[in-house]
This record gives sequence, C-alpha cells and structure tokens, in this order.
Amino acid sequence: MKRIIKNNNCAVIKAITQSLNLSILLVIVFSTSTFSQFRLPSYEKVEMENGLTVYLMEKKDVPLISVSAVFDGGAVKDGLHSGTASFTAEALRFGTTNYTRSQIDSLFNFFGSNISTYANADYSGLSTQFIKDNTEVLLSVIKEMIVNPVFPDDEVQRRKQRWVAELDQAKESPRSVIGSYFNKHIFGDAPYGNPVRGTKAGIEGITADKVRDFYKTNYHPESSAIAVVGDFSSSEMKNLLQKYFGSWKNESTKMIMDIRMMNAPFEDASVYLINKDNAFETTFLIGGYGIKMSNQEQTQLDVINTILGGRFTSWLNDELRVNAGLTYGARSNFAKYKNSGTFYMFSFTQTRNTEAALDLALKTYNRLFEKGIDEETLSSAKNYVKGQFPPDYETSGSLAGLLTQMYMYGLDDSYINNFENEVNSLTPERANELIKKYFPKDNLQFVLIGKADEIRGIAEKYGRVKERNLSEDEF
Amino acid sequence: MKIFLIFLFSAASLIAQIKADDVKTLTLKNGMKIMVLEKTIIPNANMYLFWKVGSRNEYPGITGLSHFFEHMMFNGAKKYGPKEFDRVMEANGGANNAYTSQNITAYTNWFPKTAMEVIFDLEADRIADLDFNPQMIESERGVVLSERTTGLENSPLSELWQTVQGTAFFAHPYRWPIIGYESDIKNWTKEDLENYFHTYYAPNNGLVVISGDVKVEEVKKLAQQHFEPIPAGPKPRKVHTIEPEQKGEKRLFVKREVPSAFVMIAHHVPETGSDDYYALDLLSSILSQGRSSRFYSILVEDKQLAIQAGSFYYDSFDPTLFYFYGVCGDGVKPSVLEKALLEEIDKIVNEGIAENELQKVKNQKLMEFYRTTETINGLSNTIGTYELFFGDYKKLFTAPDDYKKVTADDIQRVAAKYFTKQNRTVGVLNTEEEL
Repeated sequence: MKRIIKNNNCAVIKAITQSLNLSILLVIVFSTSTFSQFRLPSYEKVEMENGLTVYLMEKKDVPLISVSAVFDGGAVKDGLHSGTASFTAEALRFGTTNYTRSQIDSLFNFFGSNISTYANADYSGLSTQFIKDNTEVLLSVIKEMIVNPVFPDDEVQRRKQRWVAELDQAKESPRSVIGSYFNKHIFGDAPYGNPVRGTKAGIEGITADKVRDFYKTNYHPESSAIAVVGDFSSSEMKNLLQKYFGSWKNESTKMIMDIRMMNAPFEDASVYLINKDNAFETTFLIGGYGIKMSNQEQTQLDVINTILGGRFTSWLNDELRVNAGLTYGARSNFAKYKNSGTFYMFSFTQTRNTEAALDLALKTYNRLFEKGIDEETLSSAKNYVKGQFPPDYETSGSLAGLLTQMYMYGLDDSYINNFENEVNSLTPERANELIKKYFPKDNLQFVLIGKADEIRGIAEKYGRVKERNLSEDEF
Repeated sequence: MKIFLIFLFSAASLIAQIKADDVKTLTLKNGMKIMVLEKTIIPNANMYLFWKVGSRNEYPGITGLSHFFEHMMFNGAKKYGPKEFDRVMEANGGANNAYTSQNITAYTNWFPKTAMEVIFDLEADRIADLDFNPQMIESERGVVLSERTTGLENSPLSELWQTVQGTAFFAHPYRWPIIGYESDIKNWTKEDLENYFHTYYAPNNGLVVISGDVKVEEVKKLAQQHFEPIPAGPKPRKVHTIEPEQKGEKRLFVKREVPSAFVMIAHHVPETGSDDYYALDLLSSILSQGRSSRFYSILVEDKQLAIQAGSFYYDSFDPTLFYFYGVCGDGVKPSVLEKALLEEIDKIVNEGIAENELQKVKNQKLMEFYRTTETINGLSNTIGTYELFFGDYKKLFTAPDDYKKVTADDIQRVAAKYFTKQNRTVGVLNTEEEL
C-alpha cells in the first residue's frame, strides 16, 4: 500500500443553535439548478409521540436499506465500571423477549446481513444494512433489540471473559490503543479520559444488573433517533416504524447530563512513556486540547489541518515520510467530541529514529506559527477537501450514520450544504488567525509507546516523563 | 406521529441499478484496455489502473520489488517531477492510493469529475516516462522498511502468516511476503527498477477502469489522446513454476511474546476461476462469515476457545492457499484450538452442510454484490479484478447466479478433496512453545 492515511471527514459536522422544538409543518424547497455544489439528498425528519426522532431518506440505486439508531449513552457515562457503555451496546444482541442471541445472529446472517452495535465517547448506536425484501422481518428484530433486550446473565458472563482477553490482545497493536493513552493523558480522570472499550477491572465488575441499569437510564425514545436510508417508500416506512417503535415508552425520567469540560491548561510539557518490552518501533502522538463538535469554525480548521497533516502532500507526511524516509506515514487530526476535543500529530518510526522523528514533527509543526499558510497552499487544500467530500456520503450506510450523528450533536444540514461556502471563504489571513486561536503551541503533551529503556533519555528532552507498562490494565 | 420538519432537496436518487451492459469497453491501438461505467450519484469519479505484475513475478534478490515499484510510481516522471504527481492531483481535488498483491499492482485515483483530464495527463506521464531519481529511491527505501516493521509491530498475525506462507510453498514465488525480505529491500538497485518498469508497465500489460460521473465519449477521447501514443511492449515472460504436490503435513512455530497464542492452518487449493472456486469461496463463508458462521458460533461463542477465528481465500492467478486461523481465548492452549478448528472441518467432510446454511451464504454473496455495486470504488475495483482473475468482468454481474449453482454436495466434496492432513501446514505463534 502506498499509505494508510485517510482522515475521516464524516466526523466533522457543523453545529447549529436553532431550536427544533416546532410542532408545525415546515416545508422548504431548494432549487437544485442554482447549486452546483454537493448537497445533502432530500430527507424527512419526524418526531413520534414518544419523542423518538426518525429520519427517512430514499435512495434507490441499489435494493438495500440502511438503518442507524443512536442512544444517549456514551462512554462518558461509564461511571465506576469503565467499558459499561460499550458492553451494554453489545449486550443489545444477547437476546430479547422473543429471540436468543444466536437466533438474532442467525436471522441477520441468513438474509445476508450483519448487525453491529457500538459505543463511542458520546453515545451508543446500532447499525445494519439489508436487502429491501427482508425489511419487515429484520425491522421487527431490531425493534426487539432496542425495546425489549433481556441481558441474560450467562451471556453477560461469557462475553466478559472474552472481552478481557480482547483488551490484552488489543495492546499487541500500539497503533490501536495509543489514542486511549492520549485521552487519559489529556483528560485524566474527567469523562473523556475514560477508554471507550474499558479496562479489565471495569469489565470484570460488570453484571447483568449493571447493564440493565445503564440501559434503563440511557436508552429512551425521547433521547434516541433512528435513520433509515435506502430503497423504500417513505410513507410505508413511516408506518412500519410507527408499528414497531410507536409503543416504546419513556420508562424513567430523562436525565440531562451536561458535561462541562474545564480543559484546565497544562502547566508544563509532559511525556507519557508506555513501555513495550518487545517493541522495535516507537509509536507517538503529540498534541493538546482541540475543539468541540459544535465549533462553528471546524470546517475551516479542517482545511488548515489538511495542510499540516490531513493528506499525502501535507507538511508532516512530506517531511517525515517523503523527505526523510523516517516513517510510512505521519498525520494530524482534530478529534471532536460533544463537549471537548483533542488535537494530535501521529506517526511511528524505528526505535533508533525516535528522536529524529519527534524533532522533525515538532519543527514541521512550528512552521504553522512561524511561516503560516500562503495563498497557493491554501487554494490547493481547499480544492482537495471539496473534491474528497462527496464520496463520504455516497452510501446509504454513510448517510444514515450522518443523520443520526446530526441528531446526537444537535446539528443541521448546513455542514453539508454550507461546506463549500465555508471552505471558499477561508483566506490566508483568516487561516493564520485560526492557527493562533486553536492549534496548541506551548506545553505540548506527548505519548510514546516503545522500548522505554532505549527512549527514556530522549523522552526527557520533551518534558516531564511519566511511565507505565503496556501490560498494566490502566491506561 | 407529528411531523415537524420536511426538507425536499435534489432528487439524486432516481437512478437505475447497474447492469453488465452498462460497462463499456474500448481497446486502444497499443493494446491497453479501458472500461467505463457511468454512475452519477455523486459528482465524482475514479480511475483504477491494474498492472499484471505482483510478487509472483519476482525472484530471490528482488523480492518486494513490485511493491517498492508501486511506491516509486509516485516519485517523478518527465513532465511532473518528484512530488509533482501528488501535488498536482491534490491541488485539483484528487486523492490516490495503490496496492500490490501477489498477482497484480493497482493504482487508484479518486477525483471530482472536473479533474479527469489532469488525471489522464498525470497517469500518461508516469506510464510513458517514469524517472528514477536516486535520492527518491533512497528515502523510499526507508519508507518501505517502516511499512514492513509497522506491519509486524502491530500484528502478530501478519508475522505468523508470512511464516506459514513461506513454509507451505517452497518452489512457487507465493512463498515470500509481498513486502519482500528486509535484506532485499535494502539492496535492490536502480537498474532492477528500470528493468521492472520496461518489462511490466507497458500499456498492453495494463487495464484501466473508470467509474462515476463521467461520459463514455469523453473518456474515450482522453484515453486516445493521452494513453494511445504510449508504445506497446513485449509480452512479459510467464510465471511457469508449479508448486510440487505437498507430501505430508508441515508444522512451524514462531516465538513472540503475546498474551495468548495464534494458530494458522493452510491448505493448498486451486486458483481463482477454477472449477472449485465458487464452492471453496462459499465454504469460506460457511466457516467464518458473520457471527452465525461455524468458527464464530462454535469456537468463539459456544466453546469460548478463541477470541477471534476466521478463514480466507484470496484471488490468485496460480494455485494458492486456503487459510484458517484463530486467536486463543484466555488460558486456551494452541493445540486445543488447532484440534477444534480441524474438528469443524472434519464435520463438514463427514456430515456436509445444511440446506439453509447453503442458502444463507448464497444470500450473503447477493448482499456482497449489492454492496459492491453501491459505490464507484467497489465497482471499479471489482470490475477490474473480475476481468483479470476470471477473464471477464461480466462474471461480477453473474456472480450471484454462479454461486446459486453450488450444491451442498459440492461444498462437502471440496472440503474432503483439499482439507487433508497431507496438504496441510500448521503454524503457531506464542511466547513459549507448547511441550
């Protein structure tokens, strides 16, 4: 492969302040002929009596239907048992009033489909794609999973055992766990410092009752949404959804949990050094605080990040990979959450090149502040993000995911429909102002995963060093 | 139900399903084949260029060269010098990547439809006049060495896989890793690269597939203008080595510190497009596609012997390997997981499969077909690979029916025919060897 880099533009959505608390019918029609830019295809948004929000978007190029459902229970709500949100989401598949776990798996697979459930920091979700002929039978199973899960004790116990082994195994890939160490280093014991897949101690402490409690507290129609995108008629689909989800009740009062992140400034630069005894390369992240999902300037910030580390010719990749041959890839990213975010640069290099790669990453990063961005580079980056934008919304699955993400983050269509305007209106002057405002400059935070005995001295050069072994349970 | 907000935008959804006849083919005078498919759901298009060269075309001393070459294709030609290919493409809104397999090398460009002519110009330049800048060769060596180590650092399974493959094959070039041996990566020369380019990157050894919001006539015009003047080359020599029949089970152990052991089992099977292909491919689905598959439901869920178990069977021009693998559950010995994996195979050999199980995997194949045809990338990539591995892209469109013809008896027969002890290689990766 030429490279592994692809930043996920899907995760970038623009926020709105507009209240959607309307109960009247509003119809807005846009003429497509006046817009040459990519726009969100038409869809219908409906709120059921029980408060469940439903999105319907017809898309008929293939006879498939995608469903994405989201629930207001992310890893930030794990509490004492790290991993509870992820575990609960998976436990939706463990059995319902009318289906066992294996019946659920067999039904979806029999029709050629799969069903997946997940949690991220901010919310939980369920998603699937199936052939349209199987809509009724599979929707009825989805309904059971969402409305009538039973969380059998034996299934919970069996899954826990495997989950713990998976957590050990995940650490065999520094690349896949470095983000959890970074968030722990940045946020400490605050909710976003909690690893989404949990810790062994957290998972071991989970019981079927705790899963039930988490479900009861966080899975309510009034704080959930279902998006259906694909080959169907909206009016028929609306009736089906009403049939299956209309009777879902809000059993407990809605809990409003407003996480206010203080983002306490870092007092010094520090390095979280994670020792992996058998490492032959060092994997690293460097960064600090970033922005929230609701940040109005995120599209423009992503254009700037494209220049720094969001594409193949980005400064970081050009210097560390193309010019120096130190790594297979280097990139940077804003990871945005509902109430906070991080900015980081990422790369990896053979142990003996650790210092050279870190120095070069920092030197390259400082170009942002010292030289800033010129007109030609900015124009190229603008074309790039505009050209690569539409394929992110090509499939029914990606569109269903987008609609439910918009629900969870309280966003409107402007991210898609104003995207090009936002990009076009960015000037070099404005870009250089945004750099000063948002890119962390002082007291940078580092995570290094590698052979500690060989890189400890190097780590000390960049800040106060805190050490941990990769084999320890905590992040 | 209260309706509170309706948005009515463009009706981009009134598009019919793609059929085989929608793919238009033209062959240029230099022998280069171009396939075009119009699909207008997004204002974007792609260009996939497939070259019939992969690690099977290498020999000891230049192992990994196909993959290294894939990297060098981005490092400068006559009109667009070092770094210019990427700079010009990205400044025009395009992005690219590439991959190398044992059999082929593919280059992928994704771009807004307005950038198509630039893409043709960039590709034509590097196909006709690639330049080998010595400085770029050296820095790219570092990149590829990093690609090799990061793969191994992050995946014990990759390390085991390379060793199993190198043991199961001893004659055929499928025995070395696609990325090459470290010593070869460090030592191949500029001349090796030049020879490779002249041997394999002639237009008659390539296939181009373009899908998206394009017009066939426009593609034809640009192809004639940019690609047709590139001269054809001599036909590359055939890979004629045939792996001799395996005469007994082979076993190997890889020592690496891991929390739990990895087990991988490989059997020799025929190439893609052979008579048994569809049955073997469905058998792979029965073993490992979805949570109701045999390996997952029995070994992972019911018996809790593994935290992961799977099988794979790659497209190939020559007879290849069918792999099973598993990652041991907590405290499970690799010998126990190996036995359990083989028991599942024996069950299929002895008892066959159920009709509804067969129907399930056929449905999975139909779903796979729809998913593939949903995106312009899925379309270009599979149209190209079907054309190369099956000799006809139309096999993509008949695939759901071709799978339908497979019977439960066929599945049992191929399992019995290929999954024998004599034909097997077993690998274990663990902290300590089991006594």
